[in-house]
Amino acid sequence: MGKRLKRLVAVIKKEMIQVLRDRRTLAIVLITPLLELFLFSYAVDMTVDHIPMAVADMSLDNESRALIKALTASGYFDITLSVRDEEQVVRAIDEGRVQAGVVIPPDFAQQVERGDAQALILLDGSDSFTVQSGYSAAMAIAQAEAIDLLAQQVGRLGISVSLDSLPVTTATHVLYNPALDDMVFIVPALAVLILQVLSVNLTAMAVARERELGTIEGLLITPIRPTELMLSKMTPNLFVSAVGLASITLLGIYWFDVPFQGDPWLFAWVSLLFIISGLGLGLLISTVSHTQHQAQQITVLLFLLNLLLTGFIYPRAPMPPVVQAIGNLIPLTYAIRITRGIFTKGVGLSFVWTDVLALAFYGGMMIIAASVTFKKRLD
Amino acid sequence: MLRRIWAVMQKEFIQTLRDRRTLVILISMPMIQLLLFGYAINMSVDHIPTVVFDRSLDTASHAYVDAMVASGSFDVTDYVSSQAQVIEAIDAGRAQAGIIVPPDFAAQVEHGTAQVLMLVDGSDFFTSLSAYNAAEVIAQVHATEVLMSKAERSGLPLGRDPGQGSGQQNLLPLDTRLRILYNPNLDDLWFVIPGMLAMLIQVQTIALTAAAVVRERERGNIEQILVTPIRSGEFMLGKMVPTALIAIVNLLTVLGVGVYWFDVPFQGNFWLFLWLSLLYVLSGLGLGLLVSTVSQNQKQAHQLVAVTTLVGLMLGGFIFPRYTMPPILRVAGNLFPLTYFIPISRGIITKGVGIELLWEQVAALFVYVVAVLLFAARAFKPRLD
Repeated sequence: MGKRLKRLVAVIKKEMIQVLRDRRTLAIVLITPLLELFLFSYAVDMTVDHIPMAVADMSLDNESRALIKALTASGYFDITLSVRDEEQVVRAIDEGRVQAGVVIPPDFAQQVERGDAQALILLDGSDSFTVQSGYSAAMAIAQAEAIDLLAQQVGRLGISVSLDSLPVTTATHVLYNPALDDMVFIVPALAVLILQVLSVNLTAMAVARERELGTIEGLLITPIRPTELMLSKMTPNLFVSAVGLASITLLGIYWFDVPFQGDPWLFAWVSLLFIISGLGLGLLISTVSHTQHQAQQITVLLFLLNLLLTGFIYPRAPMPPVVQAIGNLIPLTYAIRITRGIFTKGVGLSFVWTDVLALAFYGGMMIIAASVTFKKRLD
Repeated sequence: MLRRIWAVMQKEFIQTLRDRRTLVILISMPMIQLLLFGYAINMSVDHIPTVVFDRSLDTASHAYVDAMVASGSFDVTDYVSSQAQVIEAIDAGRAQAGIIVPPDFAAQVEHGTAQVLMLVDGSDFFTSLSAYNAAEVIAQVHATEVLMSKAERSGLPLGRDPGQGSGQQNLLPLDTRLRILYNPNLDDLWFVIPGMLAMLIQVQTIALTAAAVVRERERGNIEQILVTPIRSGEFMLGKMVPTALIAIVNLLTVLGVGVYWFDVPFQGNFWLFLWLSLLYVLSGLGLGLLVSTVSQNQKQAHQLVAVTTLVGLMLGGFIFPRYTMPPILRVAGNLFPLTYFIPISRGIITKGVGIELLWEQVAALFVYVVAVLLFAARAFKPRLD
């Protein structure tokens, strides 16, 4: 056992030196997460507002102005362009100068009086975020404006139906994130996404590199066993990944004021488990790749699956079962649920234990699989 | 000169074709991506699992819950008996929305004081946004309907056509129609394909070019190239051609499957699109060369490419609209060719507009390509160190 430990320590030392010597890689690896965090926080506004809008107001009366005012007062639309007719609105959207338009027909006020007024709102359907936000905002604003007008008309008729408030009001509370703050969505998931990318990428190149440079033979003639080699390849990268995770989480909490609702220690331990599963997956990629180039291509593919299938951006619930099953092969899927649970919802182990168990199992399987594949490939 | 470029090209082609595994990954990756977007991704979420805590269980509360379900946005998965249970179901992830109807709902509706509480899981972005928007709109429409039927009962002259007792919309004095241009059914793939093509070409060209050059350096082959009479510009060109070909093949397959299998309409001029794509490919090749000049080994190049890809993804307008970004980030986005190509791609494929509306973007892309190639040729000297 003592001998075994000594072997392990020796190889870990070698790996440590290799990781620390390549300063440029280390710097890129550690700065990337922070860059991503800042990009997400300042660049991404998932709830789109102030959508540039063109107006073709062919009435220019009180009612048309009231409708336009209702649209802008909501904060969802900014009038940036005034044009003559529908055709010009469409052209402005074609050119990409605005993303929305409103067309108000002539004699709008009289039409409202008669009760058959029709306004037209146009949305740029080439950008999904704009359409989603714009659609429901426009619907809600137009409906509110219509009810308002109705209330005024009925009031003038002198009939006392309490129309100042609707008979049923619905208060919508968004749990965990009442202000729909983007960062509350992003930081917990981004922390684990980056962790996954870091841990997989760091080890994915490791074995392939030794093979490509021919140094693998040097390792093979030492008495070290495959599992030991895998473990020692993981250790230095474990530290690098942990530093990445800590920097993102702390920055998210203290700089971007994202509340951490749950138990930090639980989060830390589970993250460790998650890092191990990522490093294991990276090693597996590394052992099945002939060259670093191949390893790199596989990690790019994995990154894509990470983004799309794990629930990081797109919700998993509407996906077809086959695709959900593929998502279950990626450790990030479990980690996203766990981090949303602990970080955002503040629930304990009793709510997330199935995912934690899955991660532990996954990590173990990966290391075993990597060792076995490595052994087979000793040819 | 041509012979020298040809020689390098031949070498690159042989190298590319020999590494079958990489080639398979390269060609299949865009298809996987496309299939995922085609079958897996739903940006607007409906059938959100919902639990209901109905303390009234009368006709008014049933009507309310029915209105929510009928919209298709919410599926009632469970009825529970306390607010705590609603929150627990959301905590545990069994439901992502909860409706809490107070007692005496029917009477309250009659008085006009009824209030429903809707709880939405705020830990998942798309779900909470969809749920929030849907709940607001459906609740408002439902409330208006209740209001109209009340008003009718109290004998209000609202001029409903006797034969046409359909919706409440035509009773309101103002009817706003909403028209979504280019993509009336909000089909996700229509959004995705133009941006994905832009993304794909950029990622592949940068990554392949950077890897190709750095690999030579790492293996020490660069010394052999240095002793040949080839100039750096010629070497660059030779390296770029196979990569450009792979990128174009991928572009065409993705576009073909998108158009013929997923029925994404191609509105504009195909040849215009192809020519502009070729111009755009050059920008990625130039960027890849730049990345390779600052990388010492493949690992560094790989990391740099990953960063470039990510930043391009965030700032280029592929997923997130650019007009919401602060000015400084919009300027930063201009450093990526993706930013110019996405409006071109969306313009030609989705909107069907021609060069007369896109010339600004095309000119910007052209300037960019010339600048980045000049810069790369200057920075790229087959160095020894």
